[in-house]
Amino acid sequence: MSAAERLLQDAVTMLEADLGGERGERHGDVHVTLDKETVREAVRRLRAAGFELLADVMAIDWSAYPGHEGARFTVVYNLASIDPVTRIFLRVNVGDGEEVPSITPQWKAAGFMEREVYDLFGIPFAGHPDLRKLVTPDDLEGHPLRKDFPLGETPTLFNDGRFLDPATFRAGMLGSDTGRTGWVGGARKGVRSEQGREAAERELTEGSDA
Amino acid sequence: MSDLPHGAQVLHEEQSGDFSTKLMRINVGPVHPATHGVLRLVVDLDGETVMGVAPRIGYLHTGFEKTMENRTWQQVVTYTNRMDYAHALGHDLAYVLAAEKLLDARVPERAQRVRVLLTELNRIASHLLGLGTGLLDMGALTPFFYTMRERDKILDILEMVSGVRMNYGYFRVGGLSRDLPEGFEAKVQAFIDEFPARLEEYLAMFADNPIWVNRVRGAGVVTRDTALEVGLTGPSARASGVNYDVRKAAPYSGYEDYDFEVPMAEEGDAEQRFAVRAREMEQSLRIVQQALVRLEPGPIKDPDRRISLPERHELETSMEAVIFHFKLVTEGFHPPMGEVYVPTESARGELGYYLVSDGGSMPYRVKVRTPSLVNVQAIEPASIGGTFADMVVNIATMDPVMGDVDK
Repeated sequence: MSAAERLLQDAVTMLEADLGGERGERHGDVHVTLDKETVREAVRRLRAAGFELLADVMAIDWSAYPGHEGARFTVVYNLASIDPVTRIFLRVNVGDGEEVPSITPQWKAAGFMEREVYDLFGIPFAGHPDLRKLVTPDDLEGHPLRKDFPLGETPTLFNDGRFLDPATFRAGMLGSDTGRTGWVGGARKGVRSEQGREAAERELTEGSDA
Repeated sequence: MSDLPHGAQVLHEEQSGDFSTKLMRINVGPVHPATHGVLRLVVDLDGETVMGVAPRIGYLHTGFEKTMENRTWQQVVTYTNRMDYAHALGHDLAYVLAAEKLLDARVPERAQRVRVLLTELNRIASHLLGLGTGLLDMGALTPFFYTMRERDKILDILEMVSGVRMNYGYFRVGGLSRDLPEGFEAKVQAFIDEFPARLEEYLAMFADNPIWVNRVRGAGVVTRDTALEVGLTGPSARASGVNYDVRKAAPYSGYEDYDFEVPMAEEGDAEQRFAVRAREMEQSLRIVQQALVRLEPGPIKDPDRRISLPERHELETSMEAVIFHFKLVTEGFHPPMGEVYVPTESARGELGYYLVSDGGSMPYRVKVRTPSLVNVQAIEPASIGGTFADMVVNIATMDPVMGDVDK
């Protein structure tokens, strides 16, 4: 047994014996499922055992997965050991609206990773020193990577009642009508929405305002 | 004193005795040349000393992960290279490797070597861009033109291969989109012959230059512990003594067959972050040389009809080929249910795609572990206690690409 295998084996044994972990395997990677209460302790112990790099914290929304039963989300922690080289994944299942203890107080690297999960999935991390949105606009409501968040040609709602409706948006791009965006374009003809066509016809018959 | 314009504050509260200053909070970016894109920093200053840096990101958030969940597995390649546009092929490679692991695809030898060759060329181009713009941030205008000249030669090669100078999208799940064009080997060989002398020229221009050395030596030190605390990977971490290069640690795409070294340094300052990148280019060139020698004619994609498109000429003679072509173009392939993660070494650090398949023709979940997002967290510990001007050096030497940060 190589040093890497021994390190991984010891880690899994420790997680199973002390923290009630459940070992699983996915395409050759070792995944250990834990209760959310024990994740902090698990990460602390793994770090002490030699898993020096917290590569990632991510989430999966199972709500549209065929045949899935159980909690809606899984938060996956990706930890790597540099010498010897090995990798372990921790999994924590959480329901909608449930909190997960943050590991940021113990490991600064998790700061942005947990904020990203919070922003895109709406999973709050209890004890995070600075839990705010990370990448989406401040006034965007909802969490885009949830499976029930609409995509593309649907109105995007912002929290003060303002929303972007694709058809109006495109009409605005045409230049005759500023739409909701305030953008006066005029260069982009050939838009095929109802309002867009009307605006284009109006422009052809009456001439441009400008 | 009360009628200062534009809400300006009086900073020196006590006008007599010792200077007692308040912290001044200033905004840097998001549109600022020294932030390499749209990075915004809220900086707390005490005089000229940096007391705190809080990166605010998201100005380039494009929702790639959501988009990828609504594209077929093969179409995702179009999006991967748009994240880290400086080392685009690194992203392409990371994605196709993960998808191939899910599919259990067998990628032919030639395709693997071409991938390694082009990815390493692209890595050199990325480091050249990083060095050139980094020096530009410090006021050295000339090196930028030199490094861009060499980078252009690489882009010429990549354009020859893929047809574009950016966002190549040349790799496919299962192999390559098409074979290399004629004259490719000669062009790469010409670059290999020319580049070492050029690199020496650049290093002579700044590495031995006393003005440069005084500017960067000891600036923005990141210790090994701090690097691991914030999750720093890539050349910046290797400059701090973190001996972690995925190409060596967990070889993929045949990297175990190439003879190369991983440049390391212990100091963790801005000078070493530059130097490690410079030496990494030499090593990448060695890999390119070895891959070029080993290029042998052969198939360039997995022969499995369920993954790769049939050859164009087959469509004219085989009904079956037309059917497979139609199915692959309209619907794509269906990897079995499962989850997979393949780490790779991009020019900025560990890059990995975590893919979840529900057995459908589109990925159920794509999570990109982009190195830049984690690496921007290192700007704060590197900059605290230094001067404001050193912070700019730190951003330049961490070399984040904002497309890679915001996704």
